[in-house]
Amino acid sequence: MNKNIVALTVNGEEYDLALEPQVTLLEALRDHLGLTGTKEGCGTGECGSCTVLMDDKPILSCLTLAADCRGSQIVTIEGLAQGGKLTAVQEAFLEKGAVQCGFCTPGMVLSVTALLDENPQPSEEDLKKALEGNLCRCTGYNKIVEAVHQAVETISSPEGEGRQA
Amino acid sequence: MHLPRFKLLQPRSLNEAVEFIDRYGASARLGAGGTDLFVRMKYRVASPEYVVSLKQIPAKAPSIDENGALSVEALTTLRDVVRSDVVANRAPVLAEAAHTVASAQIRTMGTLGGNLCLETRCLYYNQSHTFQYVEPCFKRDGDRCYFVPKGKRCWAVFMGDTAPALVALDALVEVESSAGRRTMPIERLYTHDSLCPVSLSPAEIISTVVIPASGRRTGEAFVKSSPRGGLDFAIVSAAAVLEAGDDGTCSRAAVVLGSIAAMPVRASQAEALLQGKVLTRDLIQEAARTASAEIRPVMHHGHSASYLRRCVEVITEDALSLAFERLVIR
Repeated sequence: MNKNIVALTVNGEEYDLALEPQVTLLEALRDHLGLTGTKEGCGTGECGSCTVLMDDKPILSCLTLAADCRGSQIVTIEGLAQGGKLTAVQEAFLEKGAVQCGFCTPGMVLSVTALLDENPQPSEEDLKKALEGNLCRCTGYNKIVEAVHQAVETISSPEGEGRQA
Repeated sequence: MHLPRFKLLQPRSLNEAVEFIDRYGASARLGAGGTDLFVRMKYRVASPEYVVSLKQIPAKAPSIDENGALSVEALTTLRDVVRSDVVANRAPVLAEAAHTVASAQIRTMGTLGGNLCLETRCLYYNQSHTFQYVEPCFKRDGDRCYFVPKGKRCWAVFMGDTAPALVALDALVEVESSAGRRTMPIERLYTHDSLCPVSLSPAEIISTVVIPASGRRTGEAFVKSSPRGGLDFAIVSAAAVLEAGDDGTCSRAAVVLGSIAAMPVRASQAEALLQGKVLTRDLIQEAARTASAEIRPVMHHGHSASYLRRCVEVITEDALSLAFERLVIR
């Protein structure tokens, strides 16, 4: 076998995994770390279900080699809620009914989180551009857009100030 | 979907990458963002023995060199191209083109060099062939084209978005190999052969894209027509760069179309029509008609050649009009 030790930092935890070179980050997360929140949709970069954050930027884990993630901070959907408390974006998705079958949701939530971390007041255009790589076949996107607007409000409100997206 | 097995090489510098591709030649493939190569590997239409992953090599931010030229390293991600103030200022058409590529995730991963070296695409080739019991096409070492009936050669189309913009800017590419560095106009990067669209040898790698300093008053625009307006390859794309003197006379015009052949295509008759004339709406419309008449689009992804020809006229007019407006404002 042609395995190498790959050091990964996922949701703040460090892991050393013995992986073959062709193992993608998605496979490492799901099959080796048991973090099955990250979904495999198309596996070819079209649907965005496998979106995770690498150094706070959204990437496709299905087209990233685990071995290429050395030294990067990976955040998956499991890493957002702190101490059982959901983030503003997660709360907004629940309240607005932006989750139906739920398969696109982890990717959607992470793409929105990355957007709001960088641009807490996105325009409609910014928002659609940020989510163009996340396909949803249930909601028709309106509920998701509403949820983002609500998350923006929560984060910018006095109580939500300083609150993480 | 799983990747096939391969041996992974992770150079830390461009020199190390050059050593690897020099040693392993055609048995190695370069992967920068991986968003094109890994998809083809999952479809099993590419199965290199070695993958040289360039992710560990840092890219410097785009900058202006001593000659006033804009220099963008090939490993700069499309996201960083879009966000660079220097690029927005000096080559807005490149930023605009990079902004239309795929999705936020793919722009975070994909690089400028990778976008320039995309494999050509067609409806038949870019899919899994595991359960497809038909004879392979030219691109899969067969002898037929399913795309153009009775085609005697491969007709796959080059669908990168940044290449037309860079051709319109008269960009140069710097290529590194063990023999040293060579610089060539970006148009020479392409072969016009769908089977092997990029002219580089397996032992060569693009290091930098250089965009020469332009005249004072320029207007630039990139327009892409795509089925959904997001996360799409272009049906047709157009890059327009106009330079004009203070009296409004066009001193240089570049009109380049993408996704209609195995490489970006200049609409040279339309360019010649604009050059030396005072730019007006009517002239722009005439140039768009000229471009549509001179370009012979290759039909692709279910779009007929006549439809594409009409698209060429519409988006050439859009791109030139936008470039013209920006010229006036600046």
